[in-house]
Amino acid sequence: MATSSFPFPSRTPVRLSFSAAFAVLFVFALVPAVAVVVVSLTDLKGMPGLPVHWVGFQNYRDYFGPGHLPDNINAFRNTMIFAVLTVVTQILLALIVAVLLNRKLIGRNFYRSVVFMPTVLGVTVTALIWSLMFNPQGGPLQAVLNAFGSDSAFLGDPNIALYLVIFVQVWMNMGVSVVIFISGLQAIPEELYEVARIDGASSRQSFWYITIPMLAPSITANVLLGIVSAMQSYQLTYVLTGAMNRATQVLSLQVFQLSFGTRGGTALTQSQGYAASISMIQFLLVGAISLGTLAWLRRRERVL
Amino acid sequence: MSTLAELVHDKRPARRSAKPNRSVRIGRRPIGAYICAALLMVLFLFPLAFLVNTALKSPAEFISNPIGIVHHPNWENFPIAWEMGNFGSYFLNTVLYTVAGAGIGTAIALVMGFPVARGYIRGARLWNALFVVVMFLPNALMTQFHLLIQLHLYNTQLGYIMMLGVGVGVGPLLFRGFVLSLPRELDEAAAVDGIGYWRYLLTFILPLAKPALATVFILQAVWIWNEIILATILLADPSKWPIATGLNAFKGLYSNNWALLSAATLIVAVPLMVGYVFIQKYLVNGVVGAVKG
Repeated sequence: MATSSFPFPSRTPVRLSFSAAFAVLFVFALVPAVAVVVVSLTDLKGMPGLPVHWVGFQNYRDYFGPGHLPDNINAFRNTMIFAVLTVVTQILLALIVAVLLNRKLIGRNFYRSVVFMPTVLGVTVTALIWSLMFNPQGGPLQAVLNAFGSDSAFLGDPNIALYLVIFVQVWMNMGVSVVIFISGLQAIPEELYEVARIDGASSRQSFWYITIPMLAPSITANVLLGIVSAMQSYQLTYVLTGAMNRATQVLSLQVFQLSFGTRGGTALTQSQGYAASISMIQFLLVGAISLGTLAWLRRRERVL
Repeated sequence: MSTLAELVHDKRPARRSAKPNRSVRIGRRPIGAYICAALLMVLFLFPLAFLVNTALKSPAEFISNPIGIVHHPNWENFPIAWEMGNFGSYFLNTVLYTVAGAGIGTAIALVMGFPVARGYIRGARLWNALFVVVMFLPNALMTQFHLLIQLHLYNTQLGYIMMLGVGVGVGPLLFRGFVLSLPRELDEAAAVDGIGYWRYLLTFILPLAKPALATVFILQAVWIWNEIILATILLADPSKWPIATGLNAFKGLYSNNWALLSAATLIVAVPLMVGYVFIQKYLVNGVVGAVKG
């Protein structure tokens, strides 16, 4: 990897274009990211131009202080429920769907395209489609419930709102996992199944002892992508239930809400320093969980 | 990697997996599988069909008959929603943000990923670490906001585009991995022929790396058109919003008029679906390539 054999006459163009790209990345991505650490130690407000004071670890103490703790436990709990349920449901369903759509069914290209479609529609369209489905005033799912003599406020019911958001999240993102699994399935050599069949293995045994171990890298990739996106995504929650909804409050939304309130504006009361400390706590949490899961899955891959 | 394009379009009849084997062996039609596929299609297509159905109702018909099939298609909703929602200019904004933002990100992946993969720049290990770090950056909404104010780029399209452009995600890492599969001898041969570095990058590497760069571009583009939060924070002026943010604002204004709202949603969804038909091959490859790279 040393800077050995450089074939071109001059290194200047390499350095120029590399530095230009790095400068853009540095200014617009790395500076704000590192500044979050600094800001989390200050009392920066949403309104620009106000005096900023150094407050040490006060924001972190506030996070665990009695005034904020109930809210923070709530957001933390929601984030974990959201992440765990989304990842587990999405991976299991995607695995089943991938195996199904890898069979030689008539029209399977069409089925695959349809399952992947919500990724293309994007978060606002998806959220609006499901708000319509979950509409408590005469939506189709309400009609189904009514037929059984029941009813629900759906997203307006704080007991189930989080789970409905998880459902929509899985609906929206499952196609990505399916595509990853299908590519993994197609990489499994056909001969393995033939040998297993000759040895008298049932199709269930083939699945558990060939398909699953051979899919291990795809499973690792899917779980990791799923954890990172589930712990950081909040666009869907934002559109479906709003930023202020306690029932679906997650860490990322908390950062947004504390920094900017509901929409775009800035206010004297917004404590962005405190929001930054939540962002750091979330960053450490995502990092620790992703790295821990990665280490665990890699070990499983070797065992299998 | 070369057969990724065939994943979606079955051009490999020889390849079969466990399940087809079984059905072939037992020698019956996999009826259970078709039932499962049908249920899956209902789960994904019924919401869309219901959206179309609702969009065609007049507000009066929606109130009297919210879930039944539309009796008197009311096409009026579409022009009204189009006019009220200002979707024409939102569309242009989204196209601009997607092309410019993903273009910047792809260019960064190209001019940084190539020399790092080749070792043409000192400290490859450090740069590789940077490529991983940019995937995990913390949520920095408040510092991005203050940075753009400091740079006098707040509420400008350029400022928003720069923030989108640096959201490179796996791009540089992915492209670096791809370059490793290109023969080094090519660089040397080109240099011997007196071709400069930039010309080499643009006329040799760029065409060779087209599939990988398309992957990088599309992954970032998908992220950009789902981006609504940065747009609300960094763009105070609604006329600069992308369509996802515009549609969300429309939802806030007309949340009771489901027929109109459905028409607006379809106005946004239909071009995406038409585009999807064309770029499907690249898109699906993009997702798969990102994981393998």
